[in-house]
Amino acid sequence: MNIETNNEEKLDIALEGLYQVIDPEVDLNIVDLGLVYKIEFFEEAKEIIVTMTLTTRFCPMGESITDATVQSMQQSFPDDKTEIHLTFTPPWDVTMISEAGNEFLRS
Amino acid sequence: MFIPSGSSPIKNTTYKVVVPFYGYAALSFLIATILMFLNSDSFTQHYFNAPTLAITHMMALGWGTMIILGASHQLFPVLIEDKLYSDNLAYASFALAGIGIPLLVYAFYQFNFGFMAQVGAILINLAVISYLINLFLSSRISKKVNIHAMFTITAAVWLILTTGLGLLMVFNFHFSLLPENSLHYLNFHAHMGIIGWFLLLILGVGSRLIPMFLISKYENNPLLWKVYYLVNTGLMAFIILAFLGLNHSLFLIPIIFIGVGIALFGSFIYKCYQQRIRKKVDGQVRISMASIVLMLLPIIVMIGVISLLSSMQDTKLVLLYGYTILFGWITAIILGMTFKTLPFIVWNKVYHNIAGLGKTPNPKDLFSSKVFTASIIAYLMGFIIFGIGILLKNILVLQIGTMLLLLTAVLYNLNVFKIIFHQNKLK
Repeated sequence: MNIETNNEEKLDIALEGLYQVIDPEVDLNIVDLGLVYKIEFFEEAKEIIVTMTLTTRFCPMGESITDATVQSMQQSFPDDKTEIHLTFTPPWDVTMISEAGNEFLRS
Repeated sequence: MFIPSGSSPIKNTTYKVVVPFYGYAALSFLIATILMFLNSDSFTQHYFNAPTLAITHMMALGWGTMIILGASHQLFPVLIEDKLYSDNLAYASFALAGIGIPLLVYAFYQFNFGFMAQVGAILINLAVISYLINLFLSSRISKKVNIHAMFTITAAVWLILTTGLGLLMVFNFHFSLLPENSLHYLNFHAHMGIIGWFLLLILGVGSRLIPMFLISKYENNPLLWKVYYLVNTGLMAFIILAFLGLNHSLFLIPIIFIGVGIALFGSFIYKCYQQRIRKKVDGQVRISMASIVLMLLPIIVMIGVISLLSSMQDTKLVLLYGYTILFGWITAIILGMTFKTLPFIVWNKVYHNIAGLGKTPNPKDLFSSKVFTASIIAYLMGFIIFGIGILLKNILVLQIGTMLLLLTAVLYNLNVFKIIFHQNKLK
């Protein structure tokens, strides 16, 4: 797991919530699955931008996953507005799964 | 792609398009097994009889084709990585096929190839044309036409050739449109449907979905292209040989092409399985993988027919051949993949607005895994017993087999409609 950020302290708070956002097919959270690339916090604008991907473009569960991500961030930071920057560069592949995620899937 | 909070980013095919196909297919499977139960004796006769003709078309169109049409409206955007061109064309496809199939099946059950069969066949062809236009226009706007999409599009072309020929065959009974009588074209019609439509589509979608469900590191597009060319070449060789009316032993050539294609696909799936990250493989993926082994069964039967008998006249073996296809790999993969697709579609509809706010049920909780397991046991037993019944021409064995297949259909319907009517449990 290597998520870029401009605020390590807030990243930890965000991750607490995002670890609860599960990809229902894989049954693994989106952080360990490697879907979250970057979380940027803009204090003055009261805005958070989450740069993330999906396991495949037009993933049938994509809408649920991005909705859940927004809702989780709004629970963690109720005064801020969250936007999702969905990117497929680089595209997701299995090497992006964290060690903990790999262990979970192997178990 | 920026997504402001509160707006939906990814426009997948709406569940309203997809779910009716699943419901329709489930009911068709049930009706087909009821018809089998009521007409077990017809499987001891020549395969061209009214109940067998009706059951075959209920299984091929109502069951196999409807569920594949529904699933592919959802999955084609995943394959081409772009949205479906038109939901309305998908609705049209459902409505036209939904009316056309019972008309055709009922007419066949009455062994009447007149007005009702003709209208049914026209409606089914219009449904397929709507589907084909939707696929073509979706892939035209997408820049990502890959091997999986090629399988799907080619399968759709074979489908329209199959239903188009079927339409001509129905009209030929009354208007002599074709040079030969309609029975002469049964071979072409059946194989274009089985190999061209079902096999190509299942190979294309399966080669994308099964590695995804296994979370496998293995990829091999050149091998999948080989499978694509082998199966298509085999089918075209079969059509040419059948058209020229050549010696039946020459039919081993297309069978070998198609058999090698299936074997290569099997090796692809096996390598995906070996290199999977997810160790626990659920029952739905297992039965889908078992269906690949079942693909070889009709090929073995066909090789047996050709090499042992040098003739296609042994009707019980021809019947067994068709049975191992429709009730073998086609049914097996549908029984498995239904529960890897439908629960997610319905879960998305019911829970996407509240996902992340609380503990939502898992999609696999939307159906009963016990009922699923029972249905698979009933299916495997019914499949084998009914097959033995065809070989022995024994009505009692056939009836035991049909009871088990009917039980499979009842259990399958219970689970499918449990998913379709699932309500939000967190309200």
